[in-house]
Amino acid sequence: MNPLRSNSAFLRSLTRTLATLPAYQAAATLADAPPAFTEVGVRYSHYSEDDIDASSVIFGATSRYDIDITQLWIEAPVGASWSVALDVQNDYQTGASPWFVGTDQNGEPGVIMSGASIQDNRVEVGVATRYFWADGNAGLNVSRSDEDDYEALSMAFDASWNTAGNTRTWTTSVSNSRDKVNPTQGVIPVFVSDEALDTQSGYFGVSQILSRTAIVRVGLNYTYSDGYLSDPYKLNDQRPQNHERIALSTGYRHFLIDANASIQFDYRYYADSWGVDSHTVELGWAQHFERTTLTPYFRYYSQREADFFDVVADLTKPHFADDYRLSSYGAMTLGARWAINLGDWTFELEGERYWSDANWGLYDGDSAPALVDFWRGTMAIIWRFD
Amino acid sequence: MGGPATLVITPPEDRGTTAASLVGAVESCLATLERRYSRYLADSLVSTINRAAGGGDFTRLDPESEALLEIADQLWQSSGGLFDITSGVLRKAWRFDAAKAPVDLSQLETLQKKVGWDKVERTSEGVYLPIEGMEIDLGGLVKEYAADCAVRLLRDQGVTSGLIELAGDVATIGCQPSGVPWRVGIRAPQGGEPLGGIALSNAAAATSGNYARTLRFEGRTYGHLLNPQTGWPVEGPTSVTVIGENCLSAGAVSTIACLQSSEAAEAWLSEAGLPWLMISPDAGCSGPLASGGPLASERGLTRP
Repeated sequence: MNPLRSNSAFLRSLTRTLATLPAYQAAATLADAPPAFTEVGVRYSHYSEDDIDASSVIFGATSRYDIDITQLWIEAPVGASWSVALDVQNDYQTGASPWFVGTDQNGEPGVIMSGASIQDNRVEVGVATRYFWADGNAGLNVSRSDEDDYEALSMAFDASWNTAGNTRTWTTSVSNSRDKVNPTQGVIPVFVSDEALDTQSGYFGVSQILSRTAIVRVGLNYTYSDGYLSDPYKLNDQRPQNHERIALSTGYRHFLIDANASIQFDYRYYADSWGVDSHTVELGWAQHFERTTLTPYFRYYSQREADFFDVVADLTKPHFADDYRLSSYGAMTLGARWAINLGDWTFELEGERYWSDANWGLYDGDSAPALVDFWRGTMAIIWRFD
Repeated sequence: MGGPATLVITPPEDRGTTAASLVGAVESCLATLERRYSRYLADSLVSTINRAAGGGDFTRLDPESEALLEIADQLWQSSGGLFDITSGVLRKAWRFDAAKAPVDLSQLETLQKKVGWDKVERTSEGVYLPIEGMEIDLGGLVKEYAADCAVRLLRDQGVTSGLIELAGDVATIGCQPSGVPWRVGIRAPQGGEPLGGIALSNAAAATSGNYARTLRFEGRTYGHLLNPQTGWPVEGPTSVTVIGENCLSAGAVSTIACLQSSEAAEAWLSEAGLPWLMISPDAGCSGPLASGGPLASERGLTRP
């Protein structure tokens, strides 16, 4: 046991107040400090969509997607000013997805499902290096993603630096991705091959310490994609060849010293050239205990449908889609994160439940029959050593 | 900050910094803190707050000074009011260099009305001392805070081996360049040879003492530390040294110990749970760091 780590109520309370002063904040939380330790981590997530309501299905299975995601990473300091990182992720997905929306004999829209035999595996490998200087850091990340029907090569550069006596942190990033789409012929007939998609994205943001207990951040993201943007596994899906997106994100954290907890508020506004715009609001409460932090959170999302979306795709339009992800709807998520620190080891658990409904949104629009509800669970083990 | 300072550093080889530039950066850091928190400088934040006492206007605070006052509040509460940054005015009633009549009792009574951290108003507008002539003095916190700031600055500059000492309080970064922990001597209250040494690595040692200035009055010896509730000198430990992860925490524990009787100080130090050494008025040593104590060998403290 470290004799300098005391469990007295006085020192615990004092340490919490000291943590609001930059001189006592852990070096790893500041932009100007390279990691002091090597970190190895493994994270596993399981995503499971609820079965689709049988009354919404005209033909096909009612079961939907399950995805298993496994991630391994290592990050290590190199010298006094650099770090390197390797990140490997594997996604395995299986199940059925909506193929198209048609109408039954009563004229009511219903989903024709793909059948339950789609399987796909994606592997992504990323390498990153980061340089740290007194007031900031900059990183370069290159990653490659491979799956049966999709290849992506992306490169990203980011930098952040502190000003105003380390109370203000500026962050910027740019990224580029070149993707190749080559759908596999399986249970769903597809009619495209060898398509390409290029995407460029840029971000600029700033976070400001307002007081010893409050911090706010705001950032703007712009993304432009050019190429094949339709979903090849949907029958009636013909989207524009380009897609401009802009997102404004803000966040506020307020530390409550007496409660030893933080209130977390995040808001994001998104709009794109397809006519979709959305609002996301998230409220969280991070309760700190001696070795653990428990953070329950609630998220609300509302989206306006794309200009070319129809519940049953209108094939007479230049662009059309019946994908429920482009419809007007609202969604709620309830979840909790639990982080446990035991010396060099950190354990993380997270679970969330997501519900969506056309009537919960702020915008008018017809209800897409394939709106999804899902569970997601994540567990991670992280080990840090000299 | 009214005391001698020592800085021992090994500049990092790959940052392009020199010992001179690092010393300059630390000096600049310490000077900035002194300009903000010294009660002797007329344009410091502390002097501005004190000048506004009784005038009705709040003085706005930045996040750092707000946090330091919050720490002062925690120390006041945890010490049952013995650590009180408004108690400095009581010094005006005491003359530690006078042979006769060391205290002006009528003045002491008047000054006591200007003491009391619980009287201080803190709101989102800032801080306000409601009684004219009331003063705050952050001297009991800022020296230790300054040592921690210097350590942070040096670490940020890539320094992995260093020691800073500000008037007896010591903070260290890593070990000596040879790999051996820093060895810090503990001053004997009566002077002469140090009582022994403590081995420190990435740790700080703070010493609070009641022996620097004393007076004898009606056959009893008093130290210069004053009890804010009675206005009279504290009859407690001669000296307390505490080791902590940072200088401010160690200093807070040792300072509060010195404001109590030796018996109460022992209980307080044991409850705080950090390694400590207490020297009583009878020159006896006690605590985990004392010779024969459970941490004496681990921390390297030996009696000469």
